[in-house]
Amino acid sequence: MNRLIKQALINDPQSPFNGKTVDILIQNGVIHEIGDSISAENCEVLDFAQATVSPGWVDIFTHLADPGLEHKETIATGLKAAAAGGYTGVMCIPNTNPVIDNKTQIEYLLHQSSSAVSTIFPIGAVSKKAAGQDLAEMHDMKNSGAVAFSDGTHPIQSSGILVKALQYVKAFDGVIIQIPDDTSLGGHGQMHEGLVSTQLGMPGKPMLAEELIVARDIKLARYAESKIHFTGVTSPKSLEYIRRAKESGAQVTCSVTPHHLFFTDKDLWEYDSNLKVYPPLRTEKEVSALKAAVLDGTVDSFATHHLPHEIDSKMVEFEYAGFGIIGLQTSYSVLQTVLEDLPNSKWTELLSINPRKIFGLPAASITIGANADLTIYKSNDYQIFTSAAIHSKSKNTPFLNRNLKGKVLGIINGSKLHLN
Amino acid sequence: MKLSTKHLLGIRDLTKEDIQIILDTATQFKEVLQRPVKKVPSLRDVTIVNLFFENSTRTRISFELAEKRLSADTISFTASNSSVKKGETLLDTVNNILSMKVDMVVMRHSATGAPHFLSKHIPAAIVNAGDGINEHPTQGLLDALSMREKFGTLEGLRVAIIGDIMHSRVAMSNMYLLKKMGAEVMLAGPPTLIPKYTAEAFGVKVEYNVKKALEWADVANVLRIQLERQNQVLFSSLREYNQVYGISRSLLESLGKDITIMHPGPINRGVELDSDVADSGQSIILQQVENGVAVRMAVLYLLAGRDSN
Repeated sequence: MNRLIKQALINDPQSPFNGKTVDILIQNGVIHEIGDSISAENCEVLDFAQATVSPGWVDIFTHLADPGLEHKETIATGLKAAAAGGYTGVMCIPNTNPVIDNKTQIEYLLHQSSSAVSTIFPIGAVSKKAAGQDLAEMHDMKNSGAVAFSDGTHPIQSSGILVKALQYVKAFDGVIIQIPDDTSLGGHGQMHEGLVSTQLGMPGKPMLAEELIVARDIKLARYAESKIHFTGVTSPKSLEYIRRAKESGAQVTCSVTPHHLFFTDKDLWEYDSNLKVYPPLRTEKEVSALKAAVLDGTVDSFATHHLPHEIDSKMVEFEYAGFGIIGLQTSYSVLQTVLEDLPNSKWTELLSINPRKIFGLPAASITIGANADLTIYKSNDYQIFTSAAIHSKSKNTPFLNRNLKGKVLGIINGSKLHLN
Repeated sequence: MKLSTKHLLGIRDLTKEDIQIILDTATQFKEVLQRPVKKVPSLRDVTIVNLFFENSTRTRISFELAEKRLSADTISFTASNSSVKKGETLLDTVNNILSMKVDMVVMRHSATGAPHFLSKHIPAAIVNAGDGINEHPTQGLLDALSMREKFGTLEGLRVAIIGDIMHSRVAMSNMYLLKKMGAEVMLAGPPTLIPKYTAEAFGVKVEYNVKKALEWADVANVLRIQLERQNQVLFSSLREYNQVYGISRSLLESLGKDITIMHPGPINRGVELDSDVADSGQSIILQQVENGVAVRMAVLYLLAGRDSN
């Protein structure tokens, strides 16, 4: 099937057509021609009226919950949500049941996702069963298609294990991903430790727990001369450590989530379990610092931390509710709503170029001869996100019925197409 | 007289006027409790369920007595939180009970925010009888009533709250209430049991030396060491706790003034409070218990909304 995208604005700093409004002709999944006005026969014409096209976005931290937790999400529903959210690629975390800690599991993910529009890029566990004790067969998983390694929502606590893992993955230029959290501090915490948690009588997680691990892991990565990526960073001090580490040449990168840029701990005043996330929502001060770090380039990428939970896991007492929210479909709109000052080219860097570079994924660019790997969106349209629009199997989101800026129209991944 | 709220989830949600209304109503009910016939028909035909998902003796008995004195029909339900966690959800449990036409729910629960969660999903009025480490509003109110009786007003009163602030919903409700009513509050105890942000969050003073706190105070509200609620070791031993933070007769005598001693119970004698202090003339601990019934009658009566008839 051939496709012709009419009059779309190209947002791709890697492309000679960047900033131009052009037609794009795709033949057999490859960009065949780019020009002011292309006419072609026997092709599907896609005319979105003033849409922007960028190289396909990648989410770097999604929980697909499959295998084992299919009541929360399946690979099919999760990837559908990803496509609707503009993501042509999804890095999925290994906290399934069983844990993705061997090549058979990696092959299962790749096989199960082969018919989906979005591509799956599995993250293998660093340790067996993500238990933080013995190293998993990372080399084997790498050869089977794992793109990075992490114990996901159970960050590695032991310095000894982490340094071995960092050294181990160097053999194949691998990257370790950590949610920075020292679980011995505020391990029972339900939210950010501060004035609001104190007034709500809620056990808190101190920001210190994040900062200590960021500082420690930077040292370990330096010692091992290896690559580490922090995801879900929330603390200005963590950002400062990361900024300095980058300046001194350490191989450190980081990502932030959309919800940490949108909500603060004050939003938990009514004990809404859909705002119970890990790491916790911080205060306005941290939100401003995070936004500034996105603008100044300290932050390399966004990560949705899409964590589906069935209704019974959230319709309970706050303390018993699961951590996490779904985010694939709302990610872009939330970011566009809170980051109005982010220049056009930065969007493509943060959503596509950087994550692909950091994790060694196939590059995507809007140039003739490249694979068609595209996200189509409108940055100035508003839309109200409704329950009916959710493709995910779970509906645990605090963004329902909110008017958000920015709208994803669809994605093209090779010869596959998803339109919202 | 009407409260600004449909439920009593915490002192946090009450206005100063609400607190005054409750204390005034409690004073009237206290007078009823001195009569030979201690029962009034105020809540006839009102059915109240007491849901205690966490162990309680005195609070449950106090609520049950308050309900019976008001002629309400009552049922009580006690379950360990673990069985609830494993089996039926809280919402299912409560909806099952409500389908048998229950008007009000009194609930104690080990999770912070449990009554707030319930209030969003059920139509009945809810009285929080303690949630996690959050609030125990009727305890805050009965403490206030006891102090008001003794001192006439809460305005300007100096109250030291001593002990395990971190795990104490009594401390939370007391801080909210006392600050709203114009009292001054000082917390004292081991630094590991006083959360980092409490002073700023509530506008209270913090002192790690109990003697200094007592020298400052008109009243000392001594908290129970909540051994059952501690997730990690926060002090070395009960022996050391008693030596450094326990209230002894000799400590009180060294102050050179008489201060009033309160305790929400049950007392760990020889830990936070020595027997010769707990049983002394300075202690109003048993008045607190007596006031508990009157305060709970007032709360139930006001929330039932029958006073306009």
